[in-house]
Amino acid sequence: MTTKRDGKIWIEGLDNLFDGKQGTTLDTLAAEENLKPIVPVMPDVWVLKMGGQSIMDRGAEAVNPILEELVQARKDGHEYILCTGGGTRARHAYAVALDLGLPTAMLAKVGASIPVQNARMLQMLLAQHGGIMVYAEDFEKLPLFMRMGVIPIMSGMPPFEFWEKPPKVGRIPANRTDAGVYLMAEFLAAKGVIYIKDEDGLYTDDPKKNPDAKLIEEITARELLDSGQDDIVVERAVLEYLDRANSMTEVRIINGMKRGQVTAALNGENVGSVIRKGR
Amino acid sequence: MAESETPEQLVTGDGRTHVSSGLMRESLVSSRLLAATDGGEVRAMVPNIHMIAIGGSSIMDRGADALLPLTKTIAEISDEGYKFVLGVGGGARARHTLMIGLDLGLPVGGLARIVGGIEEQNRDMLQFLLAPHGAVTLIKEHFQDLQLFLSKGMIPICIGQPPYHAWEPPAREGRLPENGSDVGLFLMAELLGAPQMVFVKDVDGIFEEDPRKNPNAAKIDEISAAELLERDLPELPIEVEVLRCLENTRLLSSFRVINGLKPQMLRDFLQGKPVGTRVYRSAERNRA
Repeated sequence: MTTKRDGKIWIEGLDNLFDGKQGTTLDTLAAEENLKPIVPVMPDVWVLKMGGQSIMDRGAEAVNPILEELVQARKDGHEYILCTGGGTRARHAYAVALDLGLPTAMLAKVGASIPVQNARMLQMLLAQHGGIMVYAEDFEKLPLFMRMGVIPIMSGMPPFEFWEKPPKVGRIPANRTDAGVYLMAEFLAAKGVIYIKDEDGLYTDDPKKNPDAKLIEEITARELLDSGQDDIVVERAVLEYLDRANSMTEVRIINGMKRGQVTAALNGENVGSVIRKGR
Repeated sequence: MAESETPEQLVTGDGRTHVSSGLMRESLVSSRLLAATDGGEVRAMVPNIHMIAIGGSSIMDRGADALLPLTKTIAEISDEGYKFVLGVGGGARARHTLMIGLDLGLPVGGLARIVGGIEEQNRDMLQFLLAPHGAVTLIKEHFQDLQLFLSKGMIPICIGQPPYHAWEPPAREGRLPENGSDVGLFLMAELLGAPQMVFVKDVDGIFEEDPRKNPNAAKIDEISAAELLERDLPELPIEVEVLRCLENTRLLSSFRVINGLKPQMLRDFLQGKPVGTRVYRSAERNRA
């Protein structure tokens, strides 16, 4: 009843004969020169991230004007998923967890709750304009939500949680909301990624602490990683993924505190800083 | 403010409301800050249990010939009081899934999203075989109930694939997900703080060359993950990403690769005998 090959149960077709080529293996299909073009999953959709510490923790003064722009943009036909960062409460939770000697995976687990709180806050504020809360489990329903004309709101955190890897240095999870938002956009082959923060873009150092920090309007991920710059406006994991991206080859960082920047970025204007894939 | 209220600390003044902590106002990106969170003790979640990873292609796909003797031994060691989590990989059907997915042009995250379905089949078959001996399925949502299962002497069985799904990072080379079942189970063992982890495959360990092709290939008894990465062996029986993970762990300092076609090796492993190949982290790290 069962056929075996090298002691393993085998049925015809398990090693698909692609184009009639006998002996096609997974390794040959996966080889760089044989790769097929990637199917874009949702190429018309932007992935936006509302900063946690930079925007949400400022309350109404910062949040409301950005939401006004976003509601108008949705009416104007822009499609986007709105994601949230954590902010100061996530930092406090990390500080408690570090003090307790908890491993990185636990920091990732407890840190995940805060962006969910922030996403729920935005959902309440945007409900009357079609804001709906979307969890990773509902991710495959995004096309439905887009067709309904609603505004999907998600936590930016990737669903790694207990499976977050211990980083080389320190114990803070390397994949937080910037990385989650980027990876989501890379999977979707999205129209673009926009990080809405409270600075004009990427600086040579943290501009809140170093008044001599200079704005960098455009740079490649590799240049930035190799520069040895200590503080960067997005998580380093984003730069590492961007450097080997298949679909999402740039990210933009804009200042949500300046009226009109979100709209300008969605209209394709060159505002803020851009970090690209490349050497 | 009354003194009894003061440990609660909200800090304002720069337009944001902060909760006071050592990480307040930090970007969490600064290399200097990350270095400051290095070191110190790391605690284990469920120490003193073992992680046993059953190969998909190497064991499951062999059917009864391999699985019946192996599950018999697993049932015996469970009855003897050893506590462990069993994890399982995909195998031939997982490779077929990836082949079709690649041909269709699915992104890395799409491949990662679908491949775990095969492991669920394997988990369910393994659970059925071991159910008379107390096997239960362990799913992600019940991960924190693990102690409940263990305290009742049960055998929790889970899939290996980590739940990265659509968020699977782009691979360093090519388009296959780097994080497969070996990585997922390894990371679980690290979080639990398992004293030992073993990958049960169909070879006696890691060899200089594929022992199925060259019967004279020499077995490696012990090697560091860094050196194994450096050697870049063509037929490694475990996922390469596991080696990168091992170099960064805080608790788990090594794993072994053994042959599940010789179930006695599993018993020897649990008794601390030097069976198979031991792969160890090249640097010392702290543990609680």
